[in-house]
Amino acid sequence: MTENIVTIRSLSKIYQQGEINVTALNNISVDIRSGEFLTLMGPSGSGKSTLLHIIAGVDRPTSGECRVQGIDVARLNESQLADWRNQNVGFVFQTFNLIPVLTAYENVELPLLLTRLSRKQRRHQVNTALDLVGLGDRTHHLPRQLSGGQEQRVAIARALVTSPSLVVADEPTGNLDSHSAQEVLGILQTLSKTAGKTVIMVTHDPKAAAFGSRSIHLEKGELTN
Amino acid sequence: MTVGTFILKNALRNKRRATLSVLSVAVSLFLLVTLLVALRELTLPPEDIGAALRVVVRNKVSLANPLPARQRAIIERIPGVEAVSPFTWFGGSFKNEELTTFAQFAMDPSKLRLLFSEFKMPDDQYEAFQKDMRACIIGKLTAEKYHLKIGDHIMLASTIYPVTLEFKIAGIYSGTIDDRNMLFHHKYFDEATGELGTVGMWWVKARSAEDMPRITAAINQTFANTSAEVRAETERAFQLSFISMWGNIKLLVGAICTVVVFTLVLVSASTMSMAIRERFRELAVLKALGFRRRELFAFILAESFALAIGGALLGAGGAYLLFTYGNISKMTNGIFITFEVTPKILGTAALVAAGLGIVASLAPALSVARTSVVTGLKTLD
Repeated sequence: MTENIVTIRSLSKIYQQGEINVTALNNISVDIRSGEFLTLMGPSGSGKSTLLHIIAGVDRPTSGECRVQGIDVARLNESQLADWRNQNVGFVFQTFNLIPVLTAYENVELPLLLTRLSRKQRRHQVNTALDLVGLGDRTHHLPRQLSGGQEQRVAIARALVTSPSLVVADEPTGNLDSHSAQEVLGILQTLSKTAGKTVIMVTHDPKAAAFGSRSIHLEKGELTN
Repeated sequence: MTVGTFILKNALRNKRRATLSVLSVAVSLFLLVTLLVALRELTLPPEDIGAALRVVVRNKVSLANPLPARQRAIIERIPGVEAVSPFTWFGGSFKNEELTTFAQFAMDPSKLRLLFSEFKMPDDQYEAFQKDMRACIIGKLTAEKYHLKIGDHIMLASTIYPVTLEFKIAGIYSGTIDDRNMLFHHKYFDEATGELGTVGMWWVKARSAEDMPRITAAINQTFANTSAEVRAETERAFQLSFISMWGNIKLLVGAICTVVVFTLVLVSASTMSMAIRERFRELAVLKALGFRRRELFAFILAESFALAIGGALLGAGGAYLLFTYGNISKMTNGIFITFEVTPKILGTAALVAAGLGIVASLAPALSVARTSVVTGLKTLD
């Protein structure tokens, strides 16, 4: 039986907007198995991105517990959390968020600057990651010289380069045409199926969700299935 | 890629803005260095080699009041005095120039080398100067400025005395801190002005530095309670009294320097804020990738530093090269003879640039540190 990589119990997140409290997540409990390709679905404002951010350690819950690989990420301080993210989480964003002045190679290499790897070791990992997403021949291209789909594949390579156990993707196909979206989703699926990575993806699109191994739905901060 | 490459690429991502930022820092630091050097030159004139042994005697009432010529013999008798020469400002205008463009003094040529050993000129020229009462010697800079040579005759119309005198250039000297002056025979001056029996000042040479305080005190004492009380002081003190005539120039230049630095800080801080604000989202991504606040702060600081130091190298370095290897006398039309960019001034400029780098990066760095990844990611590009 596959063990859980993420364990969430009674998780709530309340934002304070002026004098009004907005509940983004309300008493969520969910387990995510290692190697799973989980899709988070729901309408805008349902709390899916908030849940993703808490799992990835870029946001903190108001109450409850979120354990990733047994670590309660909310208890880590800012510096520990940064290290933890670097080693354990790969991020893929809707708008790619590549650094425009860096080449594809340099963008992928960026997270490795925080490690103690030698230049040679870094080169090996960057090239492996770029080959994995089929962009081994685009290493010296700047983001503006790439198509949207290629940019997102570079972003995936950047997410993978540190060999994280968890890849989180927030609407990764939201800015792509259907062909590029298929390619990106195919890569994420491969990561889960063959590389054993746990992929958690936020999406609105049922077709994109179909690539996942499991889907959970949120509405008004609560799980609906 | 190294961290340094990453910082450099970020600093130069908007080349026009980076260039303008570097240029604004460069121009401001050039101005700052220029002002500091000018202030130093005005308030701390370089000392002559023989200045430590010279005493300047002037009328106690003011420099404009003359002294009786009979005082010379009395001063010469004071023990420790090696030489005494009158020094009278002629205030002549040359050619059609309205103002006096170089100083002319009537003095005793026989005492020139005793009083001012730093005057460099061939012996034959010095002898010719001594022999001919209508001869004069001029500084190398004035000779170059007016294309004058030995044997030329020049006319000077005094703006103080109702006389116009003709002089023959007997020698051209160099080696002093101000190779612009003209010296001529006091006898010629006396004759032309009708034997006034007065001089402007006395310049006195002491035999040794130990004699200086005693000679100064003795001269002051000797003429106390006479019709022409004097003020004898070392050459250094005399120069400083001139500087005090500049009034609050130090305050003024200091105020301008402060304004320059303050404006520079505002411009740089604004530039850095703009540069960081448009990258808020990227910085949030870096945070998400695992970069810590202190690393982001280091990136911003380094970027700010790079721009400030680039500007400093261009501005302060340019000022150093220009003032060290350029002809400052020509550039300032003879107002400044020397314009030395000292290590202290360069150090001040470097400190200002470093401070600028830090201050300009503080606000954007704090802003980035305070912003969470989630908020940063929501920032529009």
